[in-house]
Amino acid sequence: MQIYLPIAELSVNLFFLVGIGGAVGFLSGLFGVGGGFLLTPLLIFSGVPTAVAVASVTGQVVAASTSGALSHYRRGGIDLHLAMYLVLSGVLGAFGGVAAFSLLQDAGQLDLVISLGFLILLGSVGVLMLQESVRALLKHRQGIVVRERLPNQHSWIHGLPWRVRFKKSRLYISVLPVLGIGLFIGFVGSLLGIGGGFIMVPALVYLLRVPGNVVIGTSLAQVVAMMSATTILHAVQSQSVDILLAFCLMVGGVAGAQFGAAAGKNLRGEQLRGLLALLILAVAIRFGLSLVLTPADPFSMAVTSVAR
Amino acid sequence: MTRLFVLFAVLLAFALPAQAQRLISGVSNDTVQITSSFDGERLTFFGTIAPEAGSTSTTVEGPFQVVIVVLGPTQNRVAREKTNNFGIWLNTDQVEFQRFPSYFHVLSNKRLLEISDIATLNANFILPESYAMAPNPAGFMKTLNFGRELIRLMSEDGLFGVQETGVQFMSDTFYTAQLTLPSSAPPGPYIAQTYLFKDGALIARKSEGFAVRKIDFERFLAQSSTQYPLLYGIACVILALFTGWLGGVIFKR
Repeated sequence: MQIYLPIAELSVNLFFLVGIGGAVGFLSGLFGVGGGFLLTPLLIFSGVPTAVAVASVTGQVVAASTSGALSHYRRGGIDLHLAMYLVLSGVLGAFGGVAAFSLLQDAGQLDLVISLGFLILLGSVGVLMLQESVRALLKHRQGIVVRERLPNQHSWIHGLPWRVRFKKSRLYISVLPVLGIGLFIGFVGSLLGIGGGFIMVPALVYLLRVPGNVVIGTSLAQVVAMMSATTILHAVQSQSVDILLAFCLMVGGVAGAQFGAAAGKNLRGEQLRGLLALLILAVAIRFGLSLVLTPADPFSMAVTSVAR
Repeated sequence: MTRLFVLFAVLLAFALPAQAQRLISGVSNDTVQITSSFDGERLTFFGTIAPEAGSTSTTVEGPFQVVIVVLGPTQNRVAREKTNNFGIWLNTDQVEFQRFPSYFHVLSNKRLLEISDIATLNANFILPESYAMAPNPAGFMKTLNFGRELIRLMSEDGLFGVQETGVQFMSDTFYTAQLTLPSSAPPGPYIAQTYLFKDGALIARKSEGFAVRKIDFERFLAQSSTQYPLLYGIACVILALFTGWLGGVIFKR
């Protein structure tokens, strides 16, 4: 069944949209990430204009992260104080990201920057995650109990000024790295159409030493708030949010995420992280190849302005 | 000299009534409505060739050739070329085409080059390549190259096309033509220009307009997104939050 997307101005198979929404939702439920980093490229590769894909996926990420954020909130798994700092700087970063998005689109370099961004970001995160999970798996096999680094260990981050006490996370740290992380994820997330959960979680764990019980919840709360703001910014700035496209993806994504979460209970943490790392690397390699291999068609076209 | 001119005028006066045909044409739809299930639409063009009004003759002398050019609303489009720099393929060169047709299809009953000469076809923008020869600050050759690539890309998307068997004559003077508008045809005002040729000369032309319009919900969404972008964005977020919350409620039980 074909459905006409009013902003993208083309008709797409409805089952295809709900299907990829569901498949990506399943993976995002399994790994506890938003899934934007899979959905945006899938849409671009299937013919949806890059601008519409990025802007609409931000809306889908909001829906995909909401139910998770709510259940963490009920369990008290969110450090709201910390989330607030991350959201404020994230929205600021998103302003920059959406502005950069428009500039790059006019210059004809949006596709390039998106490909490069995915390659660098996913490539580095994927390699780091794979290393870490392989090491954990090996140690598990040797029967060594992995001891997490103690939360009161100090690094250069703890020497920075403007320290604030985050009660729930039992942290007394400078707000500078917190704002920096928010700013970076806001910028990258709005530029690439991803929530940034897969960068936020390691950043909170390894840089800020946020305790495990509030990491996922705080990251999810931040993704919901920041991606909500990004959706509105994209709607105002580029007017390329296709609500019908986003809704089809949401329906599939929300349903798929529940099955993914259920399936994830049968897998161990380090196995999950290893699989996620492989998935992230696969997407990074796909983008890398698109940059390096001779394109099937060196020419491309774009509409720069429409006579309304 | 004067005599020659008079002779020419007399000849012309005699020549015109003998050749005076008019084209009576029509199109099946005056609007194409885009709904949620819009997947393209078939249009029928038809017409007949009749003697000029007030003419004494009751028949017209063929054979005639008919060319129909269907044009969508104009847009500014840019064609870009990727080249390999330092091992990476990136867009390096581009040409922008102002007021380029977003949709262009030619239907004819015969090969275009058998109907008339290139100069006439180009002057009337009947050949797709005519648009690649339009004046452009990028220069003639570059415009021609990038214009051809743009036309090729748009042809691959079904937005440009030439159907040289698209017009059928049902009798000596009555023709019909069918065109399927793809779902990617942009909304806006369309013009169908019909050209009547005889012995390679353009003897009559007529144009029809029709509109491709989003209606109902699609129209509401598209208008909201441009006229009230802030509210539209907020509505998207509320929808997303609600869908996410509802999903959690339904599947948890």
